[in-house]
Amino acid sequence: MMDGCPGSRMQDFRKKDTEAEEENVKRQSQLRQWPIQLHLVSPEAPYYRKADVLLSADCVAFAIGDFHKDYLKGKSIAIACPKLDEGQDEYVEKIKSWIDDAQINTLTVMTMQVPCCGGLVAMVQQALQSGKKKIPVKSIVVSLQGDILSEEWI
Amino acid sequence: MEKYLIAPIKEIITKFPEVGRILEEYNIGCVPCTLGSCLLKDIVAIHNIPLEQELNLMYRLEKTIYPDRVVKKSVFKKAAKKTNAKEINYSPPIKRLVDEHILIKKWIELIPVIIENINNESGDSRQLILDGLDFIRFYADKFHHAKEEDILFEYTDKNSDIIKTILQDHESARSHVRATSEALKRGNRNLIAEHLNAYKELLKEHIKKEDEILYPWIDRDLSTTQVGELFAKFNEAEVKIDKETIEKCKSFIKELKQRIENLKIKKEEVK
Repeated sequence: MMDGCPGSRMQDFRKKDTEAEEENVKRQSQLRQWPIQLHLVSPEAPYYRKADVLLSADCVAFAIGDFHKDYLKGKSIAIACPKLDEGQDEYVEKIKSWIDDAQINTLTVMTMQVPCCGGLVAMVQQALQSGKKKIPVKSIVVSLQGDILSEEWI
Repeated sequence: MEKYLIAPIKEIITKFPEVGRILEEYNIGCVPCTLGSCLLKDIVAIHNIPLEQELNLMYRLEKTIYPDRVVKKSVFKKAAKKTNAKEINYSPPIKRLVDEHILIKKWIELIPVIIENINNESGDSRQLILDGLDFIRFYADKFHHAKEEDILFEYTDKNSDIIKTILQDHESARSHVRATSEALKRGNRNLIAEHLNAYKELLKEHIKKEDEILYPWIDRDLSTTQVGELFAKFNEAEVKIDKETIEKCKSFIKELKQRIENLKIKKEEVK
């Protein structure tokens, strides 16, 4: 039987009952900048300078319940979709500029487990290879239901 | 094959339509995908098919792409399972220290054969030991241990037992180097051998301790921000170090086996 591409295959998670996790606490947003879409941001914006930057695939924040608290806090962010976004050469240039010009401290790349998301990590590797500087880069892969499948320095 | 592993699947299927058909057999449905931007290696890894099937799949893909090539299935074992569960994923600055150990280990592995060939009458033998001591003083101590003591350990509790032990090891190593140097000046073969051997035993255990216990322990407590800081501080420290001497240390290790062989030959000639 053909299952099709895992990136767009229909899956229903409604069985996962969330009523036990009901909380009456209003969480604060940890977002400290705007814009966030990689085409819209300037890599030389002050909030990127020497920062710990999070480059997240678009879907990640929707999959992880505690995305703000556990992953966004203390970081500057940009989001992108390696499957659907056009002009990905510009993305590579912007990542390169974060590293070489904004001299970011670290880069964390968060992607979904679907294979198309691997393109985001590949863009970062391309930028690192062609850039002047090296920085620590961490890759975090998230399952479709928000579990962390792997977290490693690359 | 490497270039196709990192190529977008659509490009591969367009060039080799049979690849799409093979993938379908393994329930990997890339053919109808209109984008096809996923890389072949990611597609294979993410589908997490049993290893045997994965090896077979990779074998068939390579045979399709390179029909004239002799392909062995076992070649793909490493590529098929990229991460070894036992492998420690060090942060980049810590990984740099682990990599520096590789060169130091090459030196200590050869210490027994150097000891066997110590010859007080030979200038070459004496020079080899002097160069070895310089390698320790500069590469193992100034370049490597200094990064640990002046930078890395600032991120730890210096009163913890493990840090105290490591610092004590460094001091003991320095003391063996001093003693070897003294013994060399006096031409005392036994003392040279004794201290070089003690240094070897100490460092062998020390490196194992650092790679398997200390570094993973430090890594677990480092925040992402601290990893970045540490990486930058190591870079700054290395800029201040004389690059020519680092290259000299690398050459010393590269040429060490040959120099030892030459000593052996000379020793035989004297006999």
